[in-house]
Amino acid sequence: MSQFSVIGKSVPKVDAYEKVTGQPIYAADLKMQGMLYGKIVRCMEFAHAKVIKLDFSEALKIPGVVKVLGPEDVTQTTYNTGACDEMVSDKVGHLLGDLKDQSIFTDHVRHQGDAICGVIAISEEIAERAAAKVIVEYEPLQVFMTPSEAEKTGTHQLHPDKANNMAFQLPEAMFPGNSYGWGDADEAMKEADIIVEDDFYVNKQKQCQMEPHAYIAQVDGRGRLNCWSSGQMPKITHQKIARLFNMPMSMVKIHSTTIGGGFGARLGIIAEPETCALAMAVPGRPVKVQTLREEDWIISESRHAGDYWMRLGFKKDGTPVACQARFKANTGAYFTHASGVPFTTGAWLSGMYKFGALGYQGESYFSNQAPAGAYRGYGNPQTNFVLEQLIDRALTQLDLDPVQWRLNWHKGVGDDGWCFGVKYPSCQLSECLKQGAEAIEWNKKLAEFKNQTGTKRRGVGVSVMNHTSGAMPMLLEHTVTTVMMNEDGSAVVATACSDLGQGSHTVLHQIAAEALGLDMNEVTLKTGDSDANGFDIGSHASRTTYVGGNSILEACDDIKKQLLERASKHLDTAVENLEFGGKTIFAKHNPENSITTAEICRLGVYNYMDPETGEPEGAPGQIFGFSSHFAKHNSPPFGACFVELEIDTETGEIELLELVHTHDIGRTLHPAMAEGQMVGGAQQGIGMALTEEIYYDEQGRAVNSSFTDYKMYGSSDMPKMKVILVEDPDPHGPYGAKSVGEAGLTSPVGAIANAVYNALGIQFKEAPITPEKVLKAIKENGLNFA
Amino acid sequence: MKERAIELTVNGIALNITVPVHQTLLDTLREQLGFTDTKYGCGTGECGACSVIIDDQESLCSCMALASTLNGRSITTAAGLASNGLNAVQQAFIDQTAVQCGYCTPGMVVKSTSLLRKNPNPSEEEIRKELEGNICRCTGYDSIVKAVQQAAQSFPESDTQWDNAVELKAGANS
Repeated sequence: MSQFSVIGKSVPKVDAYEKVTGQPIYAADLKMQGMLYGKIVRCMEFAHAKVIKLDFSEALKIPGVVKVLGPEDVTQTTYNTGACDEMVSDKVGHLLGDLKDQSIFTDHVRHQGDAICGVIAISEEIAERAAAKVIVEYEPLQVFMTPSEAEKTGTHQLHPDKANNMAFQLPEAMFPGNSYGWGDADEAMKEADIIVEDDFYVNKQKQCQMEPHAYIAQVDGRGRLNCWSSGQMPKITHQKIARLFNMPMSMVKIHSTTIGGGFGARLGIIAEPETCALAMAVPGRPVKVQTLREEDWIISESRHAGDYWMRLGFKKDGTPVACQARFKANTGAYFTHASGVPFTTGAWLSGMYKFGALGYQGESYFSNQAPAGAYRGYGNPQTNFVLEQLIDRALTQLDLDPVQWRLNWHKGVGDDGWCFGVKYPSCQLSECLKQGAEAIEWNKKLAEFKNQTGTKRRGVGVSVMNHTSGAMPMLLEHTVTTVMMNEDGSAVVATACSDLGQGSHTVLHQIAAEALGLDMNEVTLKTGDSDANGFDIGSHASRTTYVGGNSILEACDDIKKQLLERASKHLDTAVENLEFGGKTIFAKHNPENSITTAEICRLGVYNYMDPETGEPEGAPGQIFGFSSHFAKHNSPPFGACFVELEIDTETGEIELLELVHTHDIGRTLHPAMAEGQMVGGAQQGIGMALTEEIYYDEQGRAVNSSFTDYKMYGSSDMPKMKVILVEDPDPHGPYGAKSVGEAGLTSPVGAIANAVYNALGIQFKEAPITPEKVLKAIKENGLNFA
Repeated sequence: MKERAIELTVNGIALNITVPVHQTLLDTLREQLGFTDTKYGCGTGECGACSVIIDDQESLCSCMALASTLNGRSITTAAGLASNGLNAVQQAFIDQTAVQCGYCTPGMVVKSTSLLRKNPNPSEEEIRKELEGNICRCTGYDSIVKAVQQAAQSFPESDTQWDNAVELKAGANS
């Protein structure tokens, strides 16, 4: 029997009924009285150009067009669509060189899809037709698409403060030598018996959430700016929009609409500024801006591609003596997450193995690619692709087993986690490795595959990862919760934590019900209203269950404390002699002396005068619980992924046969949803390893901004999946839980690359590993599988 | 703008409407009639989020059909499948936690129902094959496949529309 009544069970998701019948309101579903439609004119022909002529006259002649706004018709305040600027202090932001370099409309096109002007019309169709009639003439500028092109002398400089287009490097003032790690990696490397070293390229992957970005904004009769947005960070959106338009936050209201998938794409803001600017030009009228799929693709941020160099040194017995790495990220046309991603890419590297010394350098460069930003994993999958392959290359040379070496050398409890000075409080990676190896029959298959013949070759691979549960201490970790007890003892929990679809609202609901001793239907969650919800940094860094959950527990503890104090008066018994038994509070030594929490809540609200005594009945006041919770801990999860695949050496095609995904989860609060994160994460990790990349033509225009040309694994492509959740309650997580959200994506990337290595004996330095690259490599290596 | 008057039955309700000849069924459903349970995902028939059932059996991407060409046809959306309580597929999607962000879900439910009406006892391979045109970026598909397998166990008895559907079909053809 479980000690818990709600958590640990796969209860129906709170939004499942409405979702299977298509009821939830995504922003594009909203239709309001008097609604107008906005269409943003975007530069599609060039990736880098100056606007030399902008003429609205033909567009304005079309009946039904209300207004057309150009760069000078909107606020000149610049902003950053990312969120890193809200998560660190101004002092740190200054040291990092963070920029607010984006404008609502621009006359300097820095990437294909940059916004030039906006049309407002009475229908979507008219707005689209008018947008096509706006005359824009461009003067093309030199296009540069990679860090190496960006830093060349003579390349156009995208921002005056950033020499050689270097948007960011680890700042000297915080990280001497523009590097972090431990020990002296140069010196330590000299002690190595073998050294493996290589240059890798990691790919620009797109989140591909199913709901294209859509927004509505309206200045209401009181002059308040309302914005309907599906952002992952509603309170950050609130703050950013208020600041951009120079209004107090009380004059801005963010209405969160159902989020049709995020995966990082909706971190910070996207087209809220354009939409709000259009609405401010037509006070009173709601303006809807919805993006087409291709538009969504080129305007919202992707994963950071980049060049990743790494060198590892080992003793003959496998002792890892040193690790050196340098990631040159391609941040694209704007600053966005130029500091955040190259910083954390090395953090995941630091958190993995017990190297004798480690030195990491992280940089990012501007280019004329669409801006890069947050994508599930945030630098971790990039590190996984490079680190895990190089480890296996060394282990081949040393003739050591990849599972056994990882068992010996992974970091664990008491070691520094991904942020130095924060020790891992729990770790079940060894158990993950053992159970995963057993499930995929590691030893048996490894032996079998040594003696293969024929044109089809099989391989197995393993990869491990560490992630995070929230971003403490690197970034602000703060969530506010209020709990209101209704007069019948049921509860309303208000928090700004958003649910991207992963089920965080269901889990937060479970945590509140468990803590208050209530049933699921006796708790309701109030979210998505910036007037009613206190601060929350937003859904990122796999933090919602861990930090949001602990915030809810804190607020529920406040409720329990107040209920006990009231009960003490009602039952005339000291608090320490009372027991909180869910819906009833009773005296420990005389359980019959009890009162229901419903009665306490009712008497608190309906605090009538007793006609006989002339005194109020019970203790007055409705009970509210509150928490303004700053995470005091971080409990990173670990995981090991095992993959078996088969390669057709004649076509280069890779077929995934089986994927065993293990995860060090602390405690599982909702088994089916946790499994869903692992399987869904694997689908995206597989894509990064094998099929997904945004390609550009020579002019810097994206050539595969559609689901036909950008290949994701579909229902028939997926391998047989097995998820193993290894439980060991963490001392700090809510009920012992650690995160699961982003982790599912990360380790499949390295495991697949290593399985390919096992099958062919070839490592691929550029992701994704496509059939073309496989065939080319077989030819170049002179291999013959006939 | 050229328009055409058509008869369209949506979720069992017969409608006489006028539509622009170039309007997609998706836009007619969403913008003109308010059936927003049918989703726009790509507009080019690649993702399946806008799947609807035509004449109670076959499914199609409503972004790829012009409403003006569907005179006399019957359309069922995800909401329509639940007009007498959830159908077996919808219940199974809840039971198997096959719902995450929910944006692909109406299309998935529609496509899966259409599959089971044609083939009430599909193999796992047949289910995966049928769902190839419906993209889900959240689940990795396993829970969805399990949901269709669960629903298959009680199909077609649990599909109340299936009986109604036969009658409606006869009416439309006569």
